[in-house]
Amino acid sequence: MTAPLVAALLLFQIDTAPRPRPIMAIGQTIAINTFVNRVDAWAFGQTWARSGTRAWGRNLRLGWEWDEDAFPTNMFAHPYHGGLYFNAGRSNGLGYFESVPIAFFGSWSWENFGETYRPSLNDWFMTSFGGIALGEMFHRIGATIRDNRARGRSRTMRELAALPMDPIGGLNRLVRGQWNARGPNPPEHDPGAYVLRVGAGIRLAKGLVSDSGIARMGAIVVDLLYGDQFAQEYHSPFDVFGVRLMLSSNGGISVLRGSGRLYGKNLNRSTARIRHVLAVNQRYDYYKNPSQSAGGQSVEIGINSRWRFGSKGYGLRTALFFDFVMLGAIDAPGTGLGERTYDFGPGGGSRWELALERNGARFFRILGQAEFLHTVSGASADHIIDVSGIELTLPLAKGFGISGQTYVFNRDSRYSDAPRARRDYHEGRVLLVWTRAGFGP
Amino acid sequence: MRSALCVIAAMLCHTGLAAQRPMRPHRAGLWGELGFGAGHVRVACSGCTNVVSADGPTSYFRIGGTVSDHVVIGFEAFSQLNKAFHFSLDASKSTAETATAAVIIMWYPGRTGLFFKGGVGAAGGQYSIPRSATQADTSSGAGMGLTFGAGWDWAISRKFAVTANVATYVVAVGDIVLPGQRVDDVIATMYQASIGFTFR
Repeated sequence: MTAPLVAALLLFQIDTAPRPRPIMAIGQTIAINTFVNRVDAWAFGQTWARSGTRAWGRNLRLGWEWDEDAFPTNMFAHPYHGGLYFNAGRSNGLGYFESVPIAFFGSWSWENFGETYRPSLNDWFMTSFGGIALGEMFHRIGATIRDNRARGRSRTMRELAALPMDPIGGLNRLVRGQWNARGPNPPEHDPGAYVLRVGAGIRLAKGLVSDSGIARMGAIVVDLLYGDQFAQEYHSPFDVFGVRLMLSSNGGISVLRGSGRLYGKNLNRSTARIRHVLAVNQRYDYYKNPSQSAGGQSVEIGINSRWRFGSKGYGLRTALFFDFVMLGAIDAPGTGLGERTYDFGPGGGSRWELALERNGARFFRILGQAEFLHTVSGASADHIIDVSGIELTLPLAKGFGISGQTYVFNRDSRYSDAPRARRDYHEGRVLLVWTRAGFGP
Repeated sequence: MRSALCVIAAMLCHTGLAAQRPMRPHRAGLWGELGFGAGHVRVACSGCTNVVSADGPTSYFRIGGTVSDHVVIGFEAFSQLNKAFHFSLDASKSTAETATAAVIIMWYPGRTGLFFKGGVGAAGGQYSIPRSATQADTSSGAGMGLTFGAGWDWAISRKFAVTANVATYVVAVGDIVLPGQRVDDVIATMYQASIGFTFR
């Protein structure tokens, strides 16, 4: 399936210089939409993809509506798709802010011209904002995996490994001959400080799959901290971000959360033992479980603090943030629209964290998050969710360790025309983890 | 008439002079803008096979600061009042007002006054149908809004500019319940062309 897209991208290649090329980025966005539309129409026979001038005119005339797609489609697949648009900009030399309009344009043009369905407002929102967040994180992770100084099989493996996260960047590099060419790495290649922790083990949850009983399932948890609030001053969006991915044996992606720094400012001296840093973050949240699904696109503002102990790299970190949920989604009894089983709405909330760390790697965390969502599509309802958890990681040897994690999830839904509904579940995880960290001052 | 010609001539002269020196966006430091204009609103909802639309006056206020030579950030409050909205049979007496309060980013791609705007924030809508000569049924909803637009700052002086704007506002305010009908999952899309006065 990638061959036609490579051919389409080749048509747009003029030269190989990394200077900003907005026209190329827009052209590739149109190429992505055309490619996806034609594959859906010709290869999969989807009638909704057979759009033409009549459908375009109707879509432009009638405007936005809310769609009824499944939760993973709207809350994960669309943001991932948006990342393709965004990275059409990033891989053509545009910066973060310059690539933002590319993501909005790509999604808007798909919604109006790529389908016979009326354009969906939630799709535009999730594809654009989610695509920006995931796209920038994937762009930076891809740049870190790739190494322009490597050669041979290692080089090819790196390029292939980055491809699932940043396919447009990878294809652009391929057609520009950058899979083999040696040269300097982009600044995103080296995050400075980082922590990568991968864990695998068992996940136990009460009330997760059914109302009673304890469900047992396998889980893989990946945590990545790219950059560090305290190790480097702010210089560009997402120069510091954290992402957590949890795969569960009972349903694929169970958690995908990411939060990247849009702006940061030291509130005191950068050499002080006690540090406070103001941060504005863009956040992406995706929780998908049989009993509860929630997610959304948010912007948060708050303060990260660190107290250093002794000279061996130990410290206490705290975070307190308040957020605006630009558009979130949540399921509850009676929610949804048509075939859709969850609501959409904006909201707000807060999160806090207290952690003990050594050289940037947290080994003990207590955290909590509470969010309010006001439905604008679905049931006439307001939802409150709160999540709190404790994580403890004990080192064994050579980067390996044992991690115990326990979480409590609560939801309280209040309807204007139905009785209040509550749901909670408790979850515990025991994981064998491997941690690799690099940390600055 | 003569004064209007003088203003136009002054603006043209100023534009010509300004083109001869390096220009940065007029908005530097703390700035504010107040504007008015014409608007068109289109309202769609879940399950609606058609949309209703109407024209009405719009107004907005913006205040903000500078991020860089090419980017400014601000807060924008926008509202559209429509006195001929087709929610009831006697549509001429119905009113609909939609408003947004958003954080906006304005990007000046070059050294001219051209800018592009994008923003996201909270939104509200209030819809009213008269029940009698003195009473009205009113329903309101709150939600979120997106805005995109473009414009041009014509610097009249160091402290003052006239700004032309075109913008679209997409507002989702949930369900609107009015006597005899319920409109689910309302999405209002507004288009605006306006003139603003920018101070810094």
